[in-house]
Order: sequence, then C-alpha cells, then structure tokens
Amino acid sequence: MLSYIIRRTLMAIPLLLGITVVSFAIMKFAPGDPTSLMMDPTISQADKAKFMERYGLNDPVYIQYFKWLGAMLQGDFGTSLIRKGVPVMEMIMNRMPNTILLMVVSTMLAVVISIPFGVISATKAYSKLDYSVTITSFLGVATPNFFLGLILIMVFAVQLNWFPTGGVSTLNEPFSIWDRIHHLFLPAFVLAAADMAGLTRYTRSSMMEVIKQDYIRTARAKGFKEQKVIYKHGLRNGLIPVITIFGLMIPSFIGGAVIVEKIFTWPGIGLLFVDSAFQRDYPVIMGLTVISAVFVVIGNLVADILYAIFDPRIEY
Amino acid sequence: MTALLELKNLKTYFKRKKIEIPAVDGVDLVINKGETVALVGESGSGKSITSLSIMRLIPSPPGRIVDGQINFNGQDLAKLTEDELCKIRGNDISMIFQEPMTSLNPVLTVGEQITEVLTYHQGMSKTMAKKKAIEMLELVGFSRAKEIVDDYPHRLSGGMRQRVMIAMAMSCNPKLLIADEPTTALDVTIQAQILDLMKDLSKKFETSILIITHDLGVVSEIADRVVVMYAGQVVEEALVEDLFENPLHPYTEGLMGSVPSIEEDLDRLKSIEGNVPAPENLPAGCRFAPRCPHKFDRCTAEMPQLLKINETRAARCFLYDSKEVPQ
Ligand SMILES: Nc1ncnc2c1ncn2[C@@H]1O[C@H](COP(=O)(O)OP(=O)(O)O)[C@@H](O)[C@H]1O
Ligand SMILES: [Mg+2]
Repeated sequence: MLSYIIRRTLMAIPLLLGITVVSFAIMKFAPGDPTSLMMDPTISQADKAKFMERYGLNDPVYIQYFKWLGAMLQGDFGTSLIRKGVPVMEMIMNRMPNTILLMVVSTMLAVVISIPFGVISATKAYSKLDYSVTITSFLGVATPNFFLGLILIMVFAVQLNWFPTGGVSTLNEPFSIWDRIHHLFLPAFVLAAADMAGLTRYTRSSMMEVIKQDYIRTARAKGFKEQKVIYKHGLRNGLIPVITIFGLMIPSFIGGAVIVEKIFTWPGIGLLFVDSAFQRDYPVIMGLTVISAVFVVIGNLVADILYAIFDPRIEY
Repeated sequence: MTALLELKNLKTYFKRKKIEIPAVDGVDLVINKGETVALVGESGSGKSITSLSIMRLIPSPPGRIVDGQINFNGQDLAKLTEDELCKIRGNDISMIFQEPMTSLNPVLTVGEQITEVLTYHQGMSKTMAKKKAIEMLELVGFSRAKEIVDDYPHRLSGGMRQRVMIAMAMSCNPKLLIADEPTTALDVTIQAQILDLMKDLSKKFETSILIITHDLGVVSEIADRVVVMYAGQVVEEALVEDLFENPLHPYTEGLMGSVPSIEEDLDRLKSIEGNVPAPENLPAGCRFAPRCPHKFDRCTAEMPQLLKINETRAARCFLYDSKEVPQ
C-alpha cells in the first residue's frame, strides 16, 4: 500500500511540471504586460530598460521559466507587483486557511447530505421521495453557483437577516466558533450544492446497480435486516465508482470556490485570485495557478488512494 | 419420517404489465428430516422461484406469494413478519447459489463474511466467530484455512468460492440447506467434489437438502427423492431409484431420453421438441400436452391432477388415471 502511494505521488511530478510550463506560458503570452501596468507611461526608454533588466524580463523565455521554477521550488513565488515588496507566498498563506476551511466544510456537507440521499433514492427508486430527490438534484446541477449564491444572499441575508452577506467574521468582535460557522454556512452550502447534486445522482445509479448483484441476495439469505444489507454489503461497493467521480469533480470544485469567495467576499485564495487577475498582478496569479494545480493533483491522489482502500480487487 | 418442510399449494405470481404471471402454480412438496430432495426441470419451470419463496426472498414488487403454506418446523413461513424471517434465514434455513463468482461480497474478506453470520445469529464474540470460521473452512476442505480466512473472494477460484459459500451456509448448523444449481457453473471434477462435500456435511450435521438442478447426473449422485417440475407445477415425484428405473410422466421420460451422457445439460433437450411454455402463455389442459408424444383428447381439454400412484410416487398425467387410459 505504502509503495503504491509513493509510486502514485512520483507519477504526479511530471504532471505538476507540465502545469508550471503551461501556466508560465499563458502568463507570458497573455496580452497586457506588467511594465505597462507598473510604470508611468511617460517613463524614459533608459529607465524602462533598467526596469526590464532588474526583473529579468530581458532574459530568454526558458531562462525566465527556470529561474521562476527554481525559486518556486524553494517556496519563493516572488513579490507582488501591486502590493510592492510583499512576498506572494505570504499573501497566499494568509488566505489559505480560509479557503481550506471553506472547502473541507463544503466537501463534508456534500458527502454527508448526498450519499444518504443517493442511497435512499436508489432503494426507494421511482417513489415520490426518489422523484423529489431527482428533481432537486437536477435543479442543483442546472443552477450556476453565482446565481444560487445571489439568491441565497438576497433571501437569507438581506431579507430574513439570518446570515451575514459575506466575510469571515463580524467586524470588531472577538473570534468565536459560532460567529465563524454563521459566516461559513451560506458560502459552504453554495459551494457544496453543485457537487451535492452530482454526487447524489452518481450514488443513486451506482447503488441501483449494486442492489441487483448476487452478493446482495446472499446477504439477504443470511438473514440480515434490510439496513444492514444496504449499508454494510451494498454501500461499500456502491461508493467505489463514486470515489472516482469525486476525484474528477475536484477541478470544478476549485473553480467554484473562486466564484463563491468572490460573491461572499470570503477572503481566501479564490478572492485573491480574482482581485489579482483584475490588477494583473502576475506573480500572484502564477503562484495561485500552481497552488491550485497542486490541489487538484493532491485531490486526485487522495481519490486514487481511497479507491485502492475501498476496492480490494485493485492490485497495487 | 417427519416432515421438516412442507409446501402446500404454493403459488408465487409475478405482476407484469397489469397481468399476474403464475411462475409457481400450486406446488406441493415435502422434505423430511435428513433427506436430500432434488428439484428438477428445464430452465423457466419455476425451480428458483420455488426456493426463493421458501426463503421469502421473492423480489416484491413484482413478485408475490399469492397462496399456499410453507410449513417449516411447526411454523408457516408464509405468515411470518420480516423480523421473524430474519431470525430463520441463514440460521435454520440457509441457501447457496449457482454463481459462486458473484455471490460473495467482493469488498469483504472470506472471514468477515462467515463470522458476520455467527455473531449475528449465534451472538458469538468476534474472536470466537473467527475461530469457528477457520474450523468451517477446514471442514469444507481448505488446508490453508488460516490464510484463506483473511483473503478476499477475488483471489479464489469458482470451486473454492462455492466451498466458502457452503462453509458460510453451514456455519449456523441449519436444519435445511437450499442449493440452487450449486455445481452448474463449475468444472465436472470440481462438481463431484462439491457434491461429495454436501453429502458429507448433510450426514454430519443432519441437515436436509433441497438441491435444484437440471443435471440428472447430480440427481443420481446426491438425491434420495426427486420432484420434477414443469411450467410452475410438480409433474412427478419419486424415489431416485424408481425414477431412473421407470419414469412415469412423459416429460420425465423425455428428460431421461435426452441424457445420452449423464452430464448432459437439460437445457438442450433433444428428444422433447419445443420449449417450456412461458408462464404468461400457458396452454389449457395439461401444460406438457403440446410437446407430449402420448397426448390424447382429454389432455388438451382438462388439467390433470397430481395422482398418487403409491406411498412415494405421484404423477400428473392422465395415462395413470386408470379408468381413462385409451387403448
Ligand atoms: N423477477 C422476475 N420478474 C418476472 N418474472 C419472473 C421473475 N423471476 C422469474 N420470473 C418468471 O418465473 C419463471 C420461473 O423462473 P425460475 O424459477 O427462475 O425458473 P428455473 O426453473 O429456471 O429456476 C420464469 O419463466 C419467469 O417468467
Ligand atoms: Mg433457476
């Protein structure tokens, strides 16, 4: 098992390198270069050349890439162009805990809600309950994050005043868990919603397949109650394909986090990304791109490992 | 001899497009203590549905036991609640199936799948149950039982998995073992080993067996008594020697005639033309009449009853209705 984990981790390295090349290239060749943004348009040619020299912008592209990569491997993502002198790493790390909190909570929310609903939907297939779950899931899939977010803010924050409209905590109040949960609820729910819908559907179809299997009949013939048949003998089999789907959902989940953070002004790396993109703060954008790529790769790695744990037929 | 299981007029119907299809249509069947009874017939004659009815595991909807009694050990299983049935299944009556490759749960170890029955029905502790599981695996012929117990099913061959199923089924010392075509999916040599094992265990544990098969070789190997089914009904009943010596019902005769080698599959009958009628499309009169070489007028007009010929024999055929046999 351990060797499998190590092997899978090593296999992720070329992928990550590829991602750094692509993200570097996109930044490099995107229209609008940092010099035009950072400097007074009336600056002299000599001063501009000096600036280009200082930031290494005259080096050949591949040298720039390797310099950037080398520094990054040491945790140095450069400094922000906008907030002069602040290291990108520091900016990202300041925001990271908020994003991790949001993602972990909404993942848990999605899993805890959608798996039981998917299972019930499968065991009571074509019942009224199943139809309501199905319709709700389709609505969930079809509703864009930002739209759902705005609706919820309008209803639950503005009109009913049950939740704050955004942010991580109430201004000028000491930290409290309750206050954090209060702020977290809507963004976590919105971020979970899209995944919830998909996961419920996949759990349902996977469980529908599983309950037709011979080993379920065997479990019934052993005298187990329906609950035990479904949850002990069925669910562990039913979750195997769901784990794969879950791994595939991670990128869109990160994309969703960017939007949700923007809507709820949740100060995580997603919000940082949006702000930096508008300000063309290249070092920050590149740092964030690489970090989210790492997230995706780690997410898939975890999914693969879970898959191997759940399915003893996988030889590793 | 005392009856352990007695089916009386069992009717199990399936609902399909608003009509009820008689998959099992008035089956009477007795299994005595310690006896091995074979239920024989072509595919689609209702053997599996009969056995699942005994277990009360008919998928519902669409299936339903519409009538009859399933008297087992002084109780009518047809009347029990789900909770009461859960105490009997796997404990007093256990079942093994045709498909050893898919009947074990792929994500649980062999040991877990045996011990869970013991902890559930017998209230054993986990360690006790594991010890017993190893014992059972040794009993069904695993020499490396201590290792097999922690293996997952996918590492075992079909024959080994069927042994595991048998170990699991026998672990609570059931009064009745139902085996639905337990050897059909296995190689011939493995088949013989599995049958021997079942014979041994049934003696050792005094377990009655209902074995479902369409292989007359299996019947002669293991059964004391044979019940032949056709289109949801019992058409003949006999001690195994009597049946092979002198089959009464033309259908049984056909089955015998179609067995050039004793291993031949009944699915590919050569001497009986045609197929089992679908239960939604049964002929009036005798259900075998359209395929019967001996049929006469009465056969297509009237349904024959299961006629008792002597203490151990019965046949559903007008040929044995003495006053009615034409010349
Ligand atoms: N799940 C089901 N739904 C509808 N009809 C069924 C179902 N299972 C069995 N039947 C009907 O019952 C008949 C008997 O089936 P079965 O008992 O499996 O035959 P066999 O003798 O081959 O074991 C079949 O011909 C089929 O029409
Ligand atoms: Mg069958």
